[in-house]
Amino acid sequence: MEAEVVSSEMVLPPTLPFKRVQMSEKYPKGQSRGRHWKHLKQILQAENYISYSPDEPNYVNIESPPSMYPSKKYCDITGFEAPYADPRTNLRYVSPDVFKRIRMLPNEYVQRYLTLRNAAVVLK
Amino acid sequence: MPSMARPARQSDYARFSPETPIVVDNGGSTFRIGWAGESDPRVAFRNVVQRPRHRVTGETVTIVGDHHDPALMKYFDCTRSSWRSAFDNNVVYQFEIMEYVLDYGFERLGATEQLDHPIMMTECICNPISSRVKMAELLFETYGVPSVAFGVDAAFSYKYNQRLGICREDGLAICSGLATSHAIPFIKGEPVWDACCRTNIGGYHVTDYLKQLLSLKYPYHMSNITWEKAEELKMEHCYIASDYMSELQIFQKETKEAEEKTRYWQLPWVPPQEEAPSEEDLARKAAFKEKQSQRLREMAAAKRSLKISELENELCGLEGLLQQLDEVDEAEGTAVLARMGYLSRQEIESAALKVTQSLRKAKGESNEAEDKVDASLAEKYPLTLVPDEMLTPDQLKEKKKQIFLKTTTEGRLRAKQKRFEEETFKERQNQQDEEKRLENPELYLEELRSRYKELFEKVEQRKRQKTNGHHSNGHSSGGVGRGERLSAAQRERMRLLTTAAFDRGKGEDTFGARDEDWQVYKLMSKDNDDDDDKGQEEDEAELARVTSKLQELDPTFVPKSDQLPEHLPRSRPLTAEDYKIALGVERFRCPEVLFQPSMVGVDQAGLDEMAAISLNRLSARADIDESVKDRIAISILVTGGSSLFPGLVPRLEALIRQSRPYLSPLKVVRASDPVLDAWRGAAIYADSRGFSLQTFSMQDYYEQGEAGLRRHNIVYSLY
Repeated sequence: MEAEVVSSEMVLPPTLPFKRVQMSEKYPKGQSRGRHWKHLKQILQAENYISYSPDEPNYVNIESPPSMYPSKKYCDITGFEAPYADPRTNLRYVSPDVFKRIRMLPNEYVQRYLTLRNAAVVLK
Repeated sequence: MPSMARPARQSDYARFSPETPIVVDNGGSTFRIGWAGESDPRVAFRNVVQRPRHRVTGETVTIVGDHHDPALMKYFDCTRSSWRSAFDNNVVYQFEIMEYVLDYGFERLGATEQLDHPIMMTECICNPISSRVKMAELLFETYGVPSVAFGVDAAFSYKYNQRLGICREDGLAICSGLATSHAIPFIKGEPVWDACCRTNIGGYHVTDYLKQLLSLKYPYHMSNITWEKAEELKMEHCYIASDYMSELQIFQKETKEAEEKTRYWQLPWVPPQEEAPSEEDLARKAAFKEKQSQRLREMAAAKRSLKISELENELCGLEGLLQQLDEVDEAEGTAVLARMGYLSRQEIESAALKVTQSLRKAKGESNEAEDKVDASLAEKYPLTLVPDEMLTPDQLKEKKKQIFLKTTTEGRLRAKQKRFEEETFKERQNQQDEEKRLENPELYLEELRSRYKELFEKVEQRKRQKTNGHHSNGHSSGGVGRGERLSAAQRERMRLLTTAAFDRGKGEDTFGARDEDWQVYKLMSKDNDDDDDKGQEEDEAELARVTSKLQELDPTFVPKSDQLPEHLPRSRPLTAEDYKIALGVERFRCPEVLFQPSMVGVDQAGLDEMAAISLNRLSARADIDESVKDRIAISILVTGGSSLFPGLVPRLEALIRQSRPYLSPLKVVRASDPVLDAWRGAAIYADSRGFSLQTFSMQDYYEQGEAGLRRHNIVYSLY
């Protein structure tokens, strides 16, 4: 390894004196890739919160409920308040000028705009 | 957070006694580590790990944090590895990455031997027990720490600010972090977990929204708009509007104020070097072109000579054949003809004539023969004038052939005549036009223009009808059936087709009884709508004529079909202006997601509503009445990295006021340092005398395991 890289100490040393078990012992080479970590969704499922008492706070029941206020509609392109929605692309828009731009947009961009507010078509 | 000084390895690790706890604020965005009782963390870095491959040796190395000299990254191949975080939402789930981060943290702190200090570590509110167990397992089994205490960062931040006198014993902490925001009520200095609430929105969403919006707005500069840059722009320029709607109005009306509020980010731009091609280049190009055309000319000449020689050979053969026929008698002649595949002598003669003509053409001589032939029509086809009764059957056949040939030749002649007439007509028209123009040039031009307009519209209208109205909305792609209207003729056709398809088998089938029935097929056929093609062609020709005239006479005239629609940007050399990224609405639109999570598709309450929800949940407890809530309302503390936006506190206060009783007291304050207070609070907590009673020791871990960790809940009011 280059001298300047070594002197900058940017790379974590593979063995550290203060550890009881070294990284290489824990995750032997070649096997680490197969190691799967449960994502939050799976963790929550495994926790089985449904069986818990609803009075006890837990990760799931402390979540905020949906907003009481009606969600305002904003133009996807400009961000202004949008009175209209394009039935073809489902994008919301504020004025005829923006509508023209929407109709010029390639589908990829339409989908990306929709993804921003989690409204894109997801094929599974 | 970027642009932080690189943490140097601490050298005074040995100075601390084993009783001194190590305080770790394991935040979603930043990892901070330091010693209990100190005022600031020793080391802080972004809580991410990258595992690139070293280019020379090929081994995979681990790089933790993000403030490394970017120049040194050239030694590593980062194409297959990006920054990875141990967090999913605000919960640690990837403990391999966590271990790298902890390794780096302890190593920077200067640890050299077994860690014999208690650990004070932050975690999220209501951390799923499996995550806490894994973290404990990692700390006890891999690092061998004697004991550990888990606490919530927001609570430490509140306690620290309570100590500073910024907030009170009873109050509410609103903490907005990287991935989540929390509201936690405090009563008598202790957090009330049953009443807290979490919305999964935070600084990450703000930055991501900004990054996506900018890269969609400036697709050309997508590569320049990196996560780090978006983060930087967010921290430098974003603010919370005091009233989102009126702020939008300011920008929508394009007022001067909006102009003043817009910030620009100029990307590096170098004016393109317009290099005139050198003499040498030009000469080389010309020579190359000349060579190419020479080669083509040679090829064409060779081809022509080949064709000529071929034709000459054929002609020779035919002439020889004719001579042969002359020499022999009739019987033998037919035999010869049959052998050569000809029917009669005339056929050979006409073939010879044809060959001579094409030979002449190939040699480039003028084709006079045709005219001569035309002149002597009657002579050439003598049989056509003779009545049928006077002819033998053979001659009759010959006559039919001659009639056919004659009519085609006559047709050709007529067409020629017509063309000539048209030309003279055009010339006359041109002359008339010219006279008109000379008489009154202005009026003439005006007339021409109006005529052009009229014609253009007519032709366009036709085109539109034909292309199904796609043209009208400027959308060239997309087929029928995506909301497009059909023309009347097409609608009728569709109607006929559907009736034809569905009428079958209904009642008695009388189709075909009348001759008119068959008309239906004609109507159904796809190209029945071009009966006015002829008129269209005429119009188009006239339009072309008028256009060329106008182009000749009017220097300001631009044909409409050449005009691009206004919304289509024309290609032009890029200027510095194109490399300027404007931050207008985005400055307050992006942080607005904290208040309106629905903007990024998260269907949860925003920061302001969270306070109300939290207070509402408190009401479930018996010992809470309105007076307690009022006390809480005058001590609302905002903390966490996302509370740094300017304007957040007044906005939050205004919005929470809406949900509080009329004229009830309310006070919202910002933490003294929203980013570092959590660590500082934890450091003071770990330094207090009662801390050792709050920890969970290694012995507990081996004796009680998960159940013990589940019960492990620290008491925050130690100081």
